[in-house]
Amino acid sequence: MEYIVVSVLNGVVHGLLLFMVSAGLTLIFGMMGVLNFAHAWFYMLGAYVGFTLTRLGGFWIGLLLAPIVAGLAGVLVERYMLRRVHKYGHAHELLLTFGLAFIIEEVIKLFYGDALVSYQMPNYMRFAAFTIFETNYPFYRLFMGAVALAMFVILYLLLTRTRVGIVVRAATYRPTTVEALGHNLPVVYMAVFAGGSALAGLAGAVAGAFYPTGPNMAVDFGTLVFVVVVIGGLGSVVGALIASLMIGLFISFSVGLNVSIADLFGLIGLGSWASDVGGLFTLQLSTIANSMPFLLMLLVLLIRPAGLMGDRQ
Amino acid sequence: MINARTIVPLLAALGLLVILPLFLSPNLLNAAIKMMIAALFALAFALAMGQAGMLSFGHSAYYGLGAFAALHLMRAVEHKLFGFPTPMIPLAGALIGFLFGLVFGWFATQRTGVYFSMVTLALAELLFTLAPTWNALFGGESGISTIRGPSWGINFGSDADVYYLTLGWFVVSAWCMWAFTKTPVGRLALALRDNEQRVRFLGFNTHVARTLIFAISCLFTGVAGALLAIANEAANYTIFSAQASANVVLQTFIGGAGTFFGPALGAMIMTFFARITSDLTRSWLLYQGLIFVLVMLFAPQGLGGLADLHARKVRTNGWKHLVAPYLLCLVVGLLLIAGLVFVVESIHVVLTDAYLAKRAAAKGEWVPYELFGQTFEPFSPVTWAIPIMLVAIGSTLLPVARRITARAWLAATRDVPDEPIAPSASAAPVAPPS
Repeated sequence: MEYIVVSVLNGVVHGLLLFMVSAGLTLIFGMMGVLNFAHAWFYMLGAYVGFTLTRLGGFWIGLLLAPIVAGLAGVLVERYMLRRVHKYGHAHELLLTFGLAFIIEEVIKLFYGDALVSYQMPNYMRFAAFTIFETNYPFYRLFMGAVALAMFVILYLLLTRTRVGIVVRAATYRPTTVEALGHNLPVVYMAVFAGGSALAGLAGAVAGAFYPTGPNMAVDFGTLVFVVVVIGGLGSVVGALIASLMIGLFISFSVGLNVSIADLFGLIGLGSWASDVGGLFTLQLSTIANSMPFLLMLLVLLIRPAGLMGDRQ
Repeated sequence: MINARTIVPLLAALGLLVILPLFLSPNLLNAAIKMMIAALFALAFALAMGQAGMLSFGHSAYYGLGAFAALHLMRAVEHKLFGFPTPMIPLAGALIGFLFGLVFGWFATQRTGVYFSMVTLALAELLFTLAPTWNALFGGESGISTIRGPSWGINFGSDADVYYLTLGWFVVSAWCMWAFTKTPVGRLALALRDNEQRVRFLGFNTHVARTLIFAISCLFTGVAGALLAIANEAANYTIFSAQASANVVLQTFIGGAGTFFGPALGAMIMTFFARITSDLTRSWLLYQGLIFVLVMLFAPQGLGGLADLHARKVRTNGWKHLVAPYLLCLVVGLLLIAGLVFVVESIHVVLTDAYLAKRAAAKGEWVPYELFGQTFEPFSPVTWAIPIMLVAIGSTLLPVARRITARAWLAATRDVPDEPIAPSASAAPVAPPS
């Protein structure tokens, strides 16, 4: 029981964090078709901006300005770089953003060094929200979850209930028609890209204060955000939320389970044979927890390539 | 296509590569081996990408599998399980690469476009996350290592032996890939890239064709991986990383995915660049990232594409117009690079622990720092004037250089038709409605 409750709690919070980082990418990838490899690096940028401003002005100023800085960086990237290479196709956009990822990471390393920086939440937020099975559950985890949920609700309402949202969604399906109706498509794209980057920046500022903030924080998310977007369905914010929660729960449950394929064979009486074969059969589920998202993504791509909530191929 | 104009430079390059080890230091010889392996990897990748338009984002899977196949074979030979000639070990990489290319490719090629990239990425990431925990096959996090056994009267102890082995496999593989592009299946690859629907309409099974082409690309990728295993005598799970997959994509596009030898050129240059700069500066990845971005922005067709453009368009005596403007561009570029490097390296030095300790010892004073064997005062006008002057002169000259080059380009390419006159499927004689 304790295992299940703690796993669910951790999995949900981890999933919500994943959602915060990938929500922006599902807009960028899904609506503009840009394979933005640098997305996780905007998350890293947000964390470092948050860290710097926490030192200079305070935690909340950092939280406010980190998404703005990341969003402005997004504007520059879209306006002066991606727009120019768009006509050459996906590969060029991907490679450009890959180069950008290098640049962001190296510039940050240049100023902050290779070690972790001590980006901390303010002390008054450092308390236990409740105690469960004699373990204190930090309040800040709940705070992160709340920010992610708020982000989801606002994004969802913005996309489905406002005129801006209608234009953005229409631009996904019929860009030329939207342009013919008098909407400034380049500006829409720039806004989507900036907004997506800003969300990643906010995620960085929020999560960086709890998780380690260091040069590796972007790489850890680098490909995982694509997994979320693909599983959820390109452009679907709801899909991204479901996919993030699924992955979060999947990982948090599998790290605690010591079962292997050989154990499954044991159920039908072939356990010892499978253990003798070894290799893939005896790998513990807990050790391959990190492979799970990619397995999931592979299954989704092969069975339902549009993703859980996507409607296009 | 084989005529004196193409065969003579190729033979000259080959001859140069054969005598090269006589002049290289051990360090550079090792770099040359790695460059050739990277070039082979890029050529194999470009077979799927440039020819068939399949942007695989997980080619490191087949590279790594080839390497581990070779390592396991070398270990078996080392433990005297059976004999196998060392020069033939890349065959193991080829076999494993091809088999996994067939199986993985069968799944991946069911999808096209970015979905294809995502499937290949997922497959490679699966291996990357599985390998560190799978001790028997991939040796856990530390990987597996072995030694090269002597065979055929060669002991393969020195880098020179490995160099010639790599060169031999490189030449044979490159020739095979080039020949493959001339076969009917190779031509089909181009057709698949341009219009898959039409190919299907013509009665071809495009899924089988794409799988086969992908598997052949993986075959040569496996050879490259095996050569890396022979050169390093070790490998670990990092060979499967998305970084490695991305590197080969980048190298291919910097070289020019649309030309045959461009990817090899790009891979050689970038490998050499990484080798040299990683010894000199810790910010080398920053410079590498800048190169990627600049190439994508200003030379999207890559170096090979630029060379191809010049070969097609510049008149026989057009070069005399271009030499001076290009030299000017070079000077401008060098000025800007010098300014940037000076700033980056200065920041780097000033923020190192050693310098901070010096400052602490001088009670927080901004003590002089050392860079490029010189001493600079952090707040002296001279120190600031250097990068400002470099960048200012460079950026004033930049528009001038662009104008002059554009004019010279017109002069050099006059009288040459815009498009090469060649019958091609896309240039159908149907005038677009105007």
